[in-house]
Amino acid sequence: MSVTRNRVAAGLALVAAGSLAVFGLATPAQAASKKLTIAFVMGAEADPFFKAMKVGATAEAAAKGVNLVWQGNPSVYSPATQIPIAQQVLATKPSGLVLIPTDPTALQTIADSAIKAGIPTVNVDTHVNDLSKVTAFITGDNADGGAKAADAIASAIKYQAGQTYQVAVGLTSATATTNVARLAGFKAQVAAKYPGIQIVDTEYSQSQPSVADTNVSNWLTKYPNLAGIFAIDGTNASGAAAALQAKGLVGKIALVGYDAYPANVKLLQAGVFSALIAQNPAAEAKLAIDDLVAKLTKSPAAKSIKHDVVIPNVVLTSATSAADFAKYTYVA
Amino acid sequence: MKSFVARTKAAFGNQQVLLLTVLVLMVAFFTWRNSVFFSTSVFGNILSDWSPVVLIAIGETFVIISGGIDLSVGSTVGVSGVVGALAMEHLTTHNFGQNLTLFLGFLATVGTGLIVGTINALMITKAKVVPFIATLVTMGAGAGLSIVFTGGDPIAGGPAKAISLSVPDFGPFSRPGLVVVLIISILGLYMHKARFGRYTFAIGSNAFAARAAGINVNRHLAKVYILSSILASLAGYYYYLRLGSGAPTSGQGGELQAIAAVVIGGAALSGGVGNFFGTVLGALVLTTVTSGLIIINVAANWDQVAVAILIAAAVLLQQYRTRVRK
Repeated sequence: MSVTRNRVAAGLALVAAGSLAVFGLATPAQAASKKLTIAFVMGAEADPFFKAMKVGATAEAAAKGVNLVWQGNPSVYSPATQIPIAQQVLATKPSGLVLIPTDPTALQTIADSAIKAGIPTVNVDTHVNDLSKVTAFITGDNADGGAKAADAIASAIKYQAGQTYQVAVGLTSATATTNVARLAGFKAQVAAKYPGIQIVDTEYSQSQPSVADTNVSNWLTKYPNLAGIFAIDGTNASGAAAALQAKGLVGKIALVGYDAYPANVKLLQAGVFSALIAQNPAAEAKLAIDDLVAKLTKSPAAKSIKHDVVIPNVVLTSATSAADFAKYTYVA
Repeated sequence: MKSFVARTKAAFGNQQVLLLTVLVLMVAFFTWRNSVFFSTSVFGNILSDWSPVVLIAIGETFVIISGGIDLSVGSTVGVSGVVGALAMEHLTTHNFGQNLTLFLGFLATVGTGLIVGTINALMITKAKVVPFIATLVTMGAGAGLSIVFTGGDPIAGGPAKAISLSVPDFGPFSRPGLVVVLIISILGLYMHKARFGRYTFAIGSNAFAARAAGINVNRHLAKVYILSSILASLAGYYYYLRLGSGAPTSGQGGELQAIAAVVIGGAALSGGVGNFFGTVLGALVLTTVTSGLIIINVAANWDQVAVAILIAAAVLLQQYRTRVRK
């Protein structure tokens, strides 16, 4: 009996360890078939942004009749975890590669070795340092999104020249390139158009809504006259929304968030957010596949591939149409 | 005069008194830099951060006193929170009442903690896997599963009143916060005044001697690991009430925060040493640093440095005390 129990316990341990291996490792692509295979190697599969991108990629791959390989670490956005996955995917010799580098320098060698092996490579969202041999770079305009967030806050607080307004910004880390670009765009727009807005504080959430909640709760104490909050990404948006609800300040403090996670869209419709800035990752993925297919099949469209493409961010408010909500909400 | 020196020395030998002094100095310092710090509102913020940390830290204290380690608590916070959130989302879409939904969600959350704790207990006491490895396995599996279950999204859509429960309406305390104080007070009595605690200290000091004295070591260790996971799941439920949603990233790094609180509180990772008030104050010091640095405008990255210094100071003090005793 006790031997059986020991086996059960050991079995459980194996199952648990095995499940880690299954979720963490790449599945080999079918490189041998004549059908084109396009591999996406992204940062963190679980990120709603990448999930929305996957929806666009899957639809376009089906439309173009190509195999889609989708690989990334389940949850960690880091070059240390992305490089082994990228190497493994390259070993399966896909026809084309869509690389979303987690670090411009660390992933340069992956892009170089893919291109050297005759695998055309497109960068989406973020890019490697040397873009000269990359087929295309397609991204959302984060600086423009930051500027649009400044406009959205100004409109929500009914900005008037001559008045001063305190605004705080919640970031996820000091180094995330999207955060940096959004903040730069936000600051530039504030300086240009809204001199009465003072950016009084910035804090980091480390991708955890509970940390963002702590940051915002403390701001609400520290700045009794706080007029608005710019939550620069999805986790900051969730945490800031919770803090405002818990302190009964919904509607009194303007909250502009980023990323149209389904939960955030619901809170926008309930009036907790004044506005949400949404990206369009599905459109980025669609264009990346179209470019690679054109190049690989040497179709006439290959000549008109644009090297740098910027897809603008959109502003969602309670006035946005249901059709646009359906289009821009990041679906799971 | 000599007795005064001796008394002072004895007092400083007591890690808890020292921690309390550190805490008072910190509050004074933060208040000096920004008077807003000394307010019910900021203390409320600190306590709402402290509650989940102290829950898992008390569980970790029992584990560390028993001579083990539980690395899975952070992941258990996440996975139990999202299981509860998914259950509550499901019940809400099927028009269950808010109170019933909150109660059933609580059962789902704590049930998940019970499952994780049982797996840890079986691996450690039956399969004889060392605690570090056994809980490393459940830590990885728990973190992975919370992403698998949610696809990475925070799970909202549960009872609307959840978040209103987290409003601090008893001075700086919210209702869930008061429940946390009640739970850990009972556990404090268990740790220092009951047989459960005595067995835990005995096993951590010398498992062979404890067995020879007639303690069923395996059964007791199983209870300790299950308790630790259940406390982690309570922290998961607490986060749900606070955020109105279950996020797969909640509790990330919570195991290290818990171990830091326990070590700052004066416990020894070698087992047999640990103190309820030490852990309570250790957790309070950690969360006070977090809020204080925000209030006085110090970049958040210094938070980790401050915690590192506190841990180093606690360990050095402990070694000094051991030497003095010898």
